[in-house]
Amino acid sequence: MADAEIDLLRSSLDLLILKALSWSPMHGYAISEWIDDATRSVLLVEEGTLYPALHRLERRGWIAAEWGVSENNRKAKFYSMTPAGRARLRAESRVWQRNADAIAGVLRRSSSDAS
Amino acid sequence: MSSGKRWRPLFRLPRFGHRAISRELEHQLDDELAFHIRMREERLAKLGLSPQEARADALARFGDHERIRAECLTIDRQYAREMTMMDWVESLAADLRFALRTLRRAPAFTVITALTLALGVGATTAIFTLVHGILLRPLPYPHAEQLVRVIQSYPEKGLDLWPLSRQNAAAYKKDVTDFSHFGAYYPEGVTLTGDGAPERLMAVHVTGDFFETLGVPATLGRTVRDSEVTKASAPVAVLGYGFWQSHFGGNASVVGKTIDLDGTPTQIIGVMPQGFSFWRPDIPLFLPFAADPTKRYGWFLGGVGRLKPGVTVTHAEHQATGSMWNWARTNKDLLWGSKPIAPETTHMRAIVTPLQTTITGDVRRPLLVLQAAVALLLLIAIANVATLVSSRAAARTPEIAVRTALGASTRRVARQLITESLVVAAVGGIIGLVLAAAAVRSFALWSNNALPRIREVGVDWQVLAFALGISIASGVLFGLAPVFRMARGRRLADDLAGTQKASARTTTRRLNNTMIVTQIALSLVLLVSAGLLIKSFRRLVQTDLGFEPRGVLTATVPFPMKKYMNRDAAGPATASIVERVRRLPGVREAAATTRVPFTGVNTDGFIVEGRQPPPNAGAETQVVQSAVTPGYFSVLQQPLRYGRDFTTSDRDSSLAVVIVDDAFASRFWKGQDAIGKRMHFTGDMTWRTIVGVTSSVRDQDAAEEGLPHAYTPFAQEPNLEPVLAIATNGEVAPVLAEVRRAVSELEPGAPLANVRVLSDGVSQALANRRMTEILLTAFALLALLLAVVGIYGVMILYVTSRLREFGIRIAIGAEPSRVVRLVLREGLVLGVAGVGLGVAGALIATRWLESLLYRVSPTDPLVFAGLAIALLAVAVASCYRPARRAAAADPALALRVD
Repeated sequence: MADAEIDLLRSSLDLLILKALSWSPMHGYAISEWIDDATRSVLLVEEGTLYPALHRLERRGWIAAEWGVSENNRKAKFYSMTPAGRARLRAESRVWQRNADAIAGVLRRSSSDAS
Repeated sequence: MSSGKRWRPLFRLPRFGHRAISRELEHQLDDELAFHIRMREERLAKLGLSPQEARADALARFGDHERIRAECLTIDRQYAREMTMMDWVESLAADLRFALRTLRRAPAFTVITALTLALGVGATTAIFTLVHGILLRPLPYPHAEQLVRVIQSYPEKGLDLWPLSRQNAAAYKKDVTDFSHFGAYYPEGVTLTGDGAPERLMAVHVTGDFFETLGVPATLGRTVRDSEVTKASAPVAVLGYGFWQSHFGGNASVVGKTIDLDGTPTQIIGVMPQGFSFWRPDIPLFLPFAADPTKRYGWFLGGVGRLKPGVTVTHAEHQATGSMWNWARTNKDLLWGSKPIAPETTHMRAIVTPLQTTITGDVRRPLLVLQAAVALLLLIAIANVATLVSSRAAARTPEIAVRTALGASTRRVARQLITESLVVAAVGGIIGLVLAAAAVRSFALWSNNALPRIREVGVDWQVLAFALGISIASGVLFGLAPVFRMARGRRLADDLAGTQKASARTTTRRLNNTMIVTQIALSLVLLVSAGLLIKSFRRLVQTDLGFEPRGVLTATVPFPMKKYMNRDAAGPATASIVERVRRLPGVREAAATTRVPFTGVNTDGFIVEGRQPPPNAGAETQVVQSAVTPGYFSVLQQPLRYGRDFTTSDRDSSLAVVIVDDAFASRFWKGQDAIGKRMHFTGDMTWRTIVGVTSSVRDQDAAEEGLPHAYTPFAQEPNLEPVLAIATNGEVAPVLAEVRRAVSELEPGAPLANVRVLSDGVSQALANRRMTEILLTAFALLALLLAVVGIYGVMILYVTSRLREFGIRIAIGAEPSRVVRLVLREGLVLGVAGVGLGVAGALIATRWLESLLYRVSPTDPLVFAGLAIALLAVAVASCYRPARRAAAADPALALRVD
């Protein structure tokens, strides 16, 4: 994978995690399932890469971790959104949206030029 | 709640990469990752995969497990580290906030404690600044520790410090292989002539290898190398930085220019860097000269050597002494005349000492004494503060008990208490540092540069570290007192109620009493030391010097050497200047001399006619010789015992005469008339007839009788640098202006130099002693003040804690005066214990002072007894108010129930 792709992946992964947690606290497995569903398995090629992202977000203070009990009665680490994370999600989504629109626009125009 | 056992450090710094924390992190991570894989496995199994397939697929979908684990762990460790740090800072901040709040609620306590500490820290830091700046800091030369001063000594001839001759210097340079370089020097004024009025400048004349020895290069131009300086080479000068600035405006083009020194054109070849000093800062001129090693006479050089790396001073001194003996063997005739002796049978030797100790020699002992004194002062301050803090802790027992009952750990509370102490210590330390900086600055001004290197002294980072160190150390020291109290097991109910068990109260009192006794003892040591110095200084000041220095003006008239190639012409020229000055208004009497009292001595050997020279060295003893004009003794009011003063008819052509002092006359003709006897100096063979005997004077050191004196008529021993000695009728300044005018008219090329009032010179000679006396007295008085505050505080506490008991006593009929006596007796007991301990301590400590004392024994009974009694009285007196309070105890208190 090219570096640019990794960066892109990482930042979009961060955003997706925050988005997932904006509904309710979840453990890592649940988050990975959510992302899988939401992106039709495009983004999370290796499920494990989710975890460094989670830990990084925790260190940043955007999400908080707590041990709890999973739906099938296992000890699991649950992540929840912090107020700082919520603010982050809002700001990041806006930037992402704007960039995506701009890029999409450009791509649309060039493809019409080509045809 | 028990203390001990798990007594962890109070202020443990966050520990990074702590193993236990790290293991815990790994555990959690592994659990988390395992959970994910388990969930995925189950999910796949539900979809119909076999357990093995499910397992394999789950792992494959997870990705590189090791890499992910490692990545997570790195993040977690960093995070844990940040958290610990944050916790630590936060709890420290909380402690500080709490401490500030508590202290603000007790302003009197805080202010008194901080100020007490500020005094202790301030005084200690001020003296440390001096000690550090003068004694400890290396001299401003590269590898200054290798530099040594070389001088000689021949005690049998009264030559305790014997300068080097040119021959000696050459011998040391050649023979002493321990030296990598060796240079010699002598200071002598020169007259600068040029555009303006002639000016007299101090110059250090140096041999060619002087600069190489010191190892300091010129900042501009260059210095000289040894090989360049020969008798034939043209005169050159190296300027001091200050002189370069003041006379040449720091202009770089000065190198290569020529100036006239003593009428000789001298080329400037370089400028020394700023801050370069040799014995004293701001020497204007360094003049290289070629020391002719064939000259046997003339001992006027100082030597400075650089030791080779790894060579000891002792070894070099051994070598140098060997060289000196060799020189003596080849110069037998010079030293011992017709009866030579072997030099190794005498105490003749070379003295090699580190340059640093030589430069700071005179002030080393006084400074160390002062350092010891302030250390005692600091101890008293700490004892005082410890008493205050522990008393306060006693008062706060209920508060602390509540906090521990509410769940604060002992450790936490202890930490809180220490934080409080440290805050107070920090405040005290900062105030102390400000005090110290101010004190050092005003001290430098006040001492008028009498101390060596005082201009270089200042507050630097080492001084800052020192002040900070002792503040923190003292903060911890007195902060521990309440912690120890707390560490003791005790009943919570008692603590809550503020009623202590008798035993606990006794503990507090015992601690306080110890502190008080210590304080009294330490103050007495300081008081006695100061007392001895004061007594000794009074004696010294009252010592009859044998002459009257007040109102006497002295000034050198350096005759231009070119004009007076014939030295004899200086006699009449001096006489006419003296005649002119004598007639000036405001002048009582005037004369000229070759030596001013309390400046360096010019000693000479002598032989008395018809006397066997002392058997020991086969030679003469030493005498201080000076040439004076008629009227000199009248200027100084130095009485003539018998015989006559010199007159104008004692001329070069007339009979060679001499006047000696009492000490001289009574050594050889005790109870007889010395008039008409003859003697000669070893320097020349002229027999001189004694025509008068004056009283003896102390003009070298007020504390010592010094060498005997012999005076010759100036007209018979003329000198190109006569010093005018002028007795004024009071006002010195107007007379000086008149003298300047008169001299510039008669001798335009001779600028007045070294102008001073003789009494100033005398007090300058006493400046170091005076400084020690004044500072030590100040410290002793501060100590006394602190001790009084301490005694008062403790007694008030004592009375307050027993107010109920006193109430009962009064209720059942005790006279209030009895209660007063009871309290005073308590104070007296403490006082006697403290004074007893103090006397013992002082007996040990003052032995150290002995070399600073003058005609006072270090165990002077009057000083000891007087101050002991005075201190005891003060101790008891400071119990008076507490005692009155006890006597005023309300009997109703006894009945009140808490």
